[in-house]
Amino acid sequence: MIEEHLDFNLLRKCADCGACYNVCPSCLYIEGYDPRAVIKDILEGGFERWLHSEHIWQCLECHQCLELCFQHYGFENAMTTMRLLATKKGIHPAQVKRGWDMFIKTGRLGEPAMGQRKRLGLPEPRPSGKEEFLRLLAIYRERKAQEKKGGEAER
Amino acid sequence: MKEFAVFWGCTIPARFPFIEKSVRVVLERMGLPWTECDGFTCCPEKSLINNIDHGLWVLTGARNIAIVDEQGLDLVSPCTGCISNLATIKGELHVDHRKKEEVNSMLKEVGRRFTGSAGLNHLVPFFHDKVGAFRIKGATKRDFRGMRFAIHYGCHMMRPYHALKNDDPLEPKKFDALIGWLGGESVNYMTKLTCCGQGLDRVDQHPTALQMARVKLRELNSLGVDAMVLCCPSCFLQFDNNQFLMEKDGESFGIPVLYFTDLLGLAMGCSPEELGLGQHRISVDGFLEKWERLNAARDTEKRLEEELKEEGAFI
Ligand code: SF4
Ligand code: SF4
Repeated sequence: MIEEHLDFNLLRKCADCGACYNVCPSCLYIEGYDPRAVIKDILEGGFERWLHSEHIWQCLECHQCLELCFQHYGFENAMTTMRLLATKKGIHPAQVKRGWDMFIKTGRLGEPAMGQRKRLGLPEPRPSGKEEFLRLLAIYRERKAQEKKGGEAER
Repeated sequence: MKEFAVFWGCTIPARFPFIEKSVRVVLERMGLPWTECDGFTCCPEKSLINNIDHGLWVLTGARNIAIVDEQGLDLVSPCTGCISNLATIKGELHVDHRKKEEVNSMLKEVGRRFTGSAGLNHLVPFFHDKVGAFRIKGATKRDFRGMRFAIHYGCHMMRPYHALKNDDPLEPKKFDALIGWLGGESVNYMTKLTCCGQGLDRVDQHPTALQMARVKLRELNSLGVDAMVLCCPSCFLQFDNNQFLMEKDGESFGIPVLYFTDLLGLAMGCSPEELGLGQHRISVDGFLEKWERLNAARDTEKRLEEELKEEGAFI
């Protein structure tokens, strides 16, 4: 399952390299943050403990590691995968869930501050695409459900 | 110049309408061919949405891009997160035709189609590349000679490069050039390209977010710059709001934080009120006073020189 998300050939090279530890802001300034340790556990088959760790949420997705990498890989991939697997199991910071809930209800992460806008003399904000987004979301969910059914029938 | 739509995103209109004001004032005064579109949603934000559902992240972004594609517009955003997300999604669909078809088959049901024909850019490289030095210098009345700025690029202005392709991802130069065109000095500092760390505030790790904000603010405090200049609402939140919170708790940094358009607007002759500068949490008064003082001194110098010239002095 984890192989779906990570290229193990690149990951093995990454485990041997470790160069970008010195440019990663989280490695430099956050105690205990180290994607190299996560990668080691992934390669050795024992990554589950990371799904509960606050460290996997400390990758800033700044892409320094990606840009610097000789194989254009970036050890952020390991962290992104851990977060993906964690959310699949329903393990995530409460704030992430709140943001997600708001997004799928409104298509946005915040509504325009109308009072302040008025005081500043800003025009009415353009209408958002909420209704259309919700229709699209329903279509997307239906497709996914069908795919899942198809996959199960095949098995 | 091709007409372009501005993509405000969620954060600017919701939390910082005064930034929207600053951008609008500058675009309007410059006489640039800009417009707005109906129907945008969240770009969508990467760390929240992509971590939970990649497919929906791509589909939502493709829908936003389709809106400008259909109208033959380019798209410019004053938010680094929005533009990086949209460009990443566009790039992903360009190299994966099957996925593009799949996305379009869903978009078709709501009457849209993604082609990816619209150019997507962040406001800063856009001003550098498309507006250009000649036009910018022509529009400005005053400059920032004698003022020292710490530029904070914001990671997603130019990263990931494979999607944005608008500046060197590890050694960007365009923001620096713009500050130079405005007469200011861009100070080189060690943590210049370090991420602001605001993302931590979105995953319930506020103390760690503050810890990251301190890294840069401490260095700038010891260097003594006149202001930090940036062009991203998340970075602004991190350095203006969070700096304010830390100052309230007794730490002191004293670094005013300006949006790129604040600086450009001032140089063009806009008033601080028009640009909403009074709404920044960290006061920009000291910065403005110094600027006025330098300008006044230069005006006196110029006047003296002219008077002497008139008297036929040999200088
Ligand atoms: S993307 Fe994540 S892992 Fe990579 S350098 Fe930035 S913080 Fe570190
Ligand atoms: S991401 Fe690239 S540069 Fe960084 S440790 Fe892995 S292989 Fe080395």
